[in-house]
Amino acid sequence: MSAMPFGAAVRTAAPLRPERSMDEAAFEAFYRKTAGGIWAYIYRMTGDAAMADDLLQKTFFKFLRSNPSIADDDHLRRYVYKTATNLVFDHFRETKRDRARAYEWMPAEVRPDRGDLRHDMARVFADLKPQERALLWLAHVEGNSHEEIAEAIGVKAKSIKVMLFRARKRLGEMLTKKGLAPEVTR
Amino acid sequence: MTTECPFEPNVIDAVTSDAWTESLRAHVASCDDCAAAAEVAPWMARFSGIDAREHILPDPAVLWLKAKLLQTSAAVERASLPITRLQIAAYLIIAACWAALLTWKSSALQAWINHFSPGHMILGAAGAEATASMSLTVLLAVAILASATVGVAMHTILAEE
Repeated sequence: MSAMPFGAAVRTAAPLRPERSMDEAAFEAFYRKTAGGIWAYIYRMTGDAAMADDLLQKTFFKFLRSNPSIADDDHLRRYVYKTATNLVFDHFRETKRDRARAYEWMPAEVRPDRGDLRHDMARVFADLKPQERALLWLAHVEGNSHEEIAEAIGVKAKSIKVMLFRARKRLGEMLTKKGLAPEVTR
Repeated sequence: MTTECPFEPNVIDAVTSDAWTESLRAHVASCDDCAAAAEVAPWMARFSGIDAREHILPDPAVLWLKAKLLQTSAAVERASLPITRLQIAAYLIIAACWAALLTWKSSALQAWINHFSPGHMILGAAGAEATASMSLTVLLAVAILASATVGVAMHTILAEE
């Protein structure tokens, strides 16, 4: 096992076109560059470190099964983010009811709203819809363009502007409501 | 307008690094998208940084190996698919033959089986009489079907091993 940096920002691009198959060394280099960012993305989407580990592995299994070429790192990153997003959304679809029930029955002391800032922030982010979380993370943390975000979450590029605006407004309202809104110095 | 504002990345950068310029301030005042981005950007930057610790990720060598093993097993599965289909077809044909035979010769078979009951055995009438009640063709059909059933079952077991 090796330690990887958490939350490294990456840029993404288009689908794979196998040219020359990736060997183990090239895969390891690509993995070390992208896995930290992918893990952070999945973790913030799911709020569950074990699930993030699991979905990260599934993402890279799918990636390797697609017979990746080593031609363009950007294409590979785009593909990996798209795969990770699909897996996370599938996970939400599968566990929607279970999650709602689990939270209802969770004892108050283990619920993620334990009062400290870290948990408050995580709680606010978790209250957003999965698609809003993906939009905000990809735009603000990964620094992706609208086109890249559209490809990752599987919607039309021209819809992203409105969707992102709404997600930002919703997050802003939630932060104001909870008294967590930071002061913006302009 | 549905296209991305070209200043959006600059606004996010300016908020997170606190490097505002007069022109950017003026732009944010007139652009709803950039104003919304500027509103949440500091929080997002802080949120993405709260867990800036080292996380132990799965070893890429292990992932590579697992993926190759999965690929191999998937290839084996793909290669054995026609055999599996043939086995299923064979089972269905054999089951249909058994059903047809049992329906067609049910009374004769019932009588033949009854000859092996303890009562008939005591009377010593099982052997020749029992064979006589069944035609040679039916006995042959039963033998062939029984062999075919055992054969297909053995093939399935050996293929799985």
